[in-house]
Amino acid sequence: MEPTRELHGTLSDLLDRVLDKGLVVSADLIITLSGIPLIAVNLKATMAGMETMLEHGLMRDWDESIRSHEQETRQSKAALVARN
Amino acid sequence: MNDNGHGRYVYCIAEASEKLSLGGIGLDGNEVYTIPAEGLCAIVHNCPAQPYSSENKEVVYSWVISHQKVVEVALDRFGTVLPMTFDTIIHNVDGGGAEDNICRWLVDEGDELKRKLGHLKDKEEYGVQVLWEPKAIASMLARNNPEITELEEEIKSKPKGLAYMYRQRLEKLLKEEVGKESERVFKDFYRRIEECAVEIKVGHTKKEQDKQMLMNLSCLVPSGGTEPLANELEKIDNMDGFSVRFTGPWPPYSFVTGDQ
Repeated sequence: MEPTRELHGTLSDLLDRVLDKGLVVSADLIITLSGIPLIAVNLKATMAGMETMLEHGLMRDWDESIRSHEQETRQSKAALVARN
Repeated sequence: MNDNGHGRYVYCIAEASEKLSLGGIGLDGNEVYTIPAEGLCAIVHNCPAQPYSSENKEVVYSWVISHQKVVEVALDRFGTVLPMTFDTIIHNVDGGGAEDNICRWLVDEGDELKRKLGHLKDKEEYGVQVLWEPKAIASMLARNNPEITELEEEIKSKPKGLAYMYRQRLEKLLKEEVGKESERVFKDFYRRIEECAVEIKVGHTKKEQDKQMLMNLSCLVPSGGTEPLANELEKIDNMDGFSVRFTGPWPPYSFVTGDQ
């Protein structure tokens, strides 16, 4: 099977990567997002997807461990935003 | 106050010493150019010292797409890049201009940035999402589970009220079986995919129409070495009730943070 790069089918993957991932610079050098816009909105959408999975009783164990890891990462990112 | 030019929107970092323009390919058509220091360079455009932010989804999409395009142009030109997260704008602090701050950052973090670039050299990121249809899986599990088939038989002969209770029990049992099955296939697929990748990052699963996402992975794969992964994914895609979305190559967004 061939990987696809076609934009139409991969927009959500692109948003996940560009908004939620990528290299983060230390907070004292960058300006931050006033009024919690993009990243938080995107985060909400991702979390909603996960709640649904948990409701169906799927993959509780590994979801928990991934979740705590993700939360740690996001908290450090949020702290970064908040500090400025 | 017009502070245009006081900030620098950073798209990515590359290993290159040239100062050059990549043209008006940035967000809103801004000119993108390199700021070199210490054998590294930041790919940037000049902007006001305020974040890009909009309530309008379409606007955000167009920015994100522009961000990605610049990173891809840089990737083609410089080989390996460290893509920045969206809205990374370096401003003028401590009396220094934004450009001075970028140079200082490249110098201070140089070793770490170079180490990351070295790790990602000649590798590409691919997105792998495995979706499944819980209903199809449940009916398959039901067929092969004697306890469930027995319950189904009993329900037929029971009066209405009792049948309802049996059905509740049946649903609970099915839910448990689907849960167990999801863990089993997740582990199995993960192990198989792991053998075809240098590194894997596990992402959130998301809801899709009629289907559920069982796993959402980012895989780092040697450039030109996707065949083993593609073959393994094709096998999964051909299984009843399962489908695979395979995207990429992506700039290594998922592999620039954390400890690599």
